[in-house]
Amino acid sequence: MGFDLVGIFQTVIDGVLFGSTYALIGMGFTLIFGAMEKLNMAFAASSIGGAYIGLGISTLLGLPLFLTFFIGPIAAGLLGLLVYLTCFRFIPTDNHLGSLMASIGALFFIDEVIIHETNGSPLNFPELGLFAEAYFEFGEFGFRGDLIFIMLLSFVFMGVIMYVLYKTRLGLATRAVSQQHIASLLCGIPTHKTNAVTFVLAGVLGGFAGCLVATSVGVISPLLTLPITIKGLIAAVIGGLGSIRGAIIAGLLIGGLENLFLLLRGVNERDIYVFLLLFLFLVFRPNGLFGSTINRD
Amino acid sequence: MTKYRIKKPLATITTLCLLLGSSAVMGETTVNIAGWGAKSGPLRSFGVNSEAIIKAAVATVNKDGGITLANGSKAKLAFDYYDSGCNAEQGIAVARKVASETNALIGIGPTCSGVAAASFGVFQKKLDDNSDTGLQFPLLTDTAVRNGLAKISQWTFRNTPNEPDMYDKLFAWIAKNNPDVKTIYGGTETDQGHSAGTYSKVIVQAAVRHGFEWVNGPIDEVNGKIASGFKNVLSSSSNWLMGDTNFSVQARSFKKSKADLFIVSAHPFTTCGFLKELYRQKGMPKMLVGLTSSSSAEVMKGCAKQAEGMIIPTSFAPITDAAKEVAALAENNGGSADLHSAAAWENVMIIKQVMESVKITGDPAKLQEERRKIRDGLEALETTEGLLGTVTRVQDEGEALKPYVFVQAKNGSWDVVHDPR
Repeated sequence: MGFDLVGIFQTVIDGVLFGSTYALIGMGFTLIFGAMEKLNMAFAASSIGGAYIGLGISTLLGLPLFLTFFIGPIAAGLLGLLVYLTCFRFIPTDNHLGSLMASIGALFFIDEVIIHETNGSPLNFPELGLFAEAYFEFGEFGFRGDLIFIMLLSFVFMGVIMYVLYKTRLGLATRAVSQQHIASLLCGIPTHKTNAVTFVLAGVLGGFAGCLVATSVGVISPLLTLPITIKGLIAAVIGGLGSIRGAIIAGLLIGGLENLFLLLRGVNERDIYVFLLLFLFLVFRPNGLFGSTINRD
Repeated sequence: MTKYRIKKPLATITTLCLLLGSSAVMGETTVNIAGWGAKSGPLRSFGVNSEAIIKAAVATVNKDGGITLANGSKAKLAFDYYDSGCNAEQGIAVARKVASETNALIGIGPTCSGVAAASFGVFQKKLDDNSDTGLQFPLLTDTAVRNGLAKISQWTFRNTPNEPDMYDKLFAWIAKNNPDVKTIYGGTETDQGHSAGTYSKVIVQAAVRHGFEWVNGPIDEVNGKIASGFKNVLSSSSNWLMGDTNFSVQARSFKKSKADLFIVSAHPFTTCGFLKELYRQKGMPKMLVGLTSSSSAEVMKGCAKQAEGMIIPTSFAPITDAAKEVAALAENNGGSADLHSAAAWENVMIIKQVMESVKITGDPAKLQEERRKIRDGLEALETTEGLLGTVTRVQDEGEALKPYVFVQAKNGSWDVVHDPR
């Protein structure tokens, strides 16, 4: 099927809008890395797990389905705390590989628990009210209302996290722990508590992200876990691990480029180019888009 | 002394109880079968459904007295179900373990076509070929449906729907009843063997055979014969992967094609994701045709509204008394009956029939001999009784020709729209 400039532009816009879900997941990865300099590979799994718990509780208790978007993040926050306690808290700080492998184990564990509880069946996920079927058409262009809403939300979340990091005592403590672990201990900052709170905060953010990813697809499935882990991680790395702004911009960029590669080269080659992009960044700009100057918010 | 007086009678009673108990157990012969399929991973529902139905079928056989052995006595049927995941190595390992470490006389499974394609290769290809040390263990597959797998080994048989036949009849029916539907377009999950294989080798060719035109002009080398030009079919379509979450490009291509009929050959998760995107983009066509595996409860749970009108050929629908009973039993056992899992019921009944006709003894010392007898018994079958009617065996390929119906998504359920039986 041929494509023209209008088609290419439309494709990139679609991708950028969808990239906001990658950005949200990327933000969670980067927030935890910023605090502990460690990757929590179970982050996206906790996010989808939270969304599942939210949907499950709303459905089982007969609650209005919009509550899924509130219960999900709370559940994901608790899952985040659980992951912190099991994969990070008791593993020595300098053993990066230990916590990385433990969190990979947690990823597969959470994924398999979801699969066992749902038999792997996709479930219809609540829609975003008015935005769900909103589709704005301007001549030959069309834009999904729910994705525009998700994109706006991701900017709101970015603002909230930046506010927490720069304007609150928790943020000050988080930055202190990440920059000088020993010095922050000497200053009386409870590092474990600070890290735990960061995991909960990232988990809540992830819970929102999980719900928004599921609502944007329309169905929730354990199949979502691995792709969004990979895309979120790429967004965090390309944006610059530790940079909230970087994760947002990289998430949108990856979404747009991924769609463009899909249009131009087909689905079988699409991911090759995305991974090539990651490879190029790791080789030529390992600190990500924003370099070392704003490497760590 | 007092202690001794109490202990001795107690020990005697215990020994007697144990002896009586074991003799009671010894008096009850059991005949073992094994099942395996995906009970972990994203396609777990296949294994869960298959196991639930085997369990129900085995219970029914036992309730009716069990298996009649060569000496006229009755034996209970017992089964173990193993998790082979949807993973070729795991499937091969399970097949080897069951064949070499258990008393199972026959297996039912696997559920995934990729596992079947790989694991059938470790069975002895030609019977009595002493140079081939492959597994000599009969297998009757219920779920793995990709075209033409059973002929890999003479020990492997399948009771799965014949997709080339079903889609051929489906497009003949659509052409006859919907003369306004002329052009087609479609897409598939390219990383899923069954979805992509059936789409590019079977469905598109069946449509072309019955006069439907690919919307952008004929696809090179596609002449209606099975598998003709299948690579070109894939490159002419808008495809996705099983884990994809964004279908905007594909849905836009479908919409832009303005074809009368869309073919969506995918498993339920991406079928739903894709259809929801197509619906949002207001790109729904006059007619939708889906993959056999999507005629399940999962699509109705995930996207009943968007799938409305989708037509799928299937070898199972609860339209006979027997099929209704199996559907209810499956639900009671925590599963769901569909075209894949319902075959597991038929398989257990076929196995009972074969075991009785070849007169097995249930003697563990004759394990290999009886496995061979069962294999030969399976091969000798010309027809079997299925839930929708008589199933014809195509024994040179080890396959089945099953009765089928066409179902259509209507108001949240699959309704039978054509019953050619």
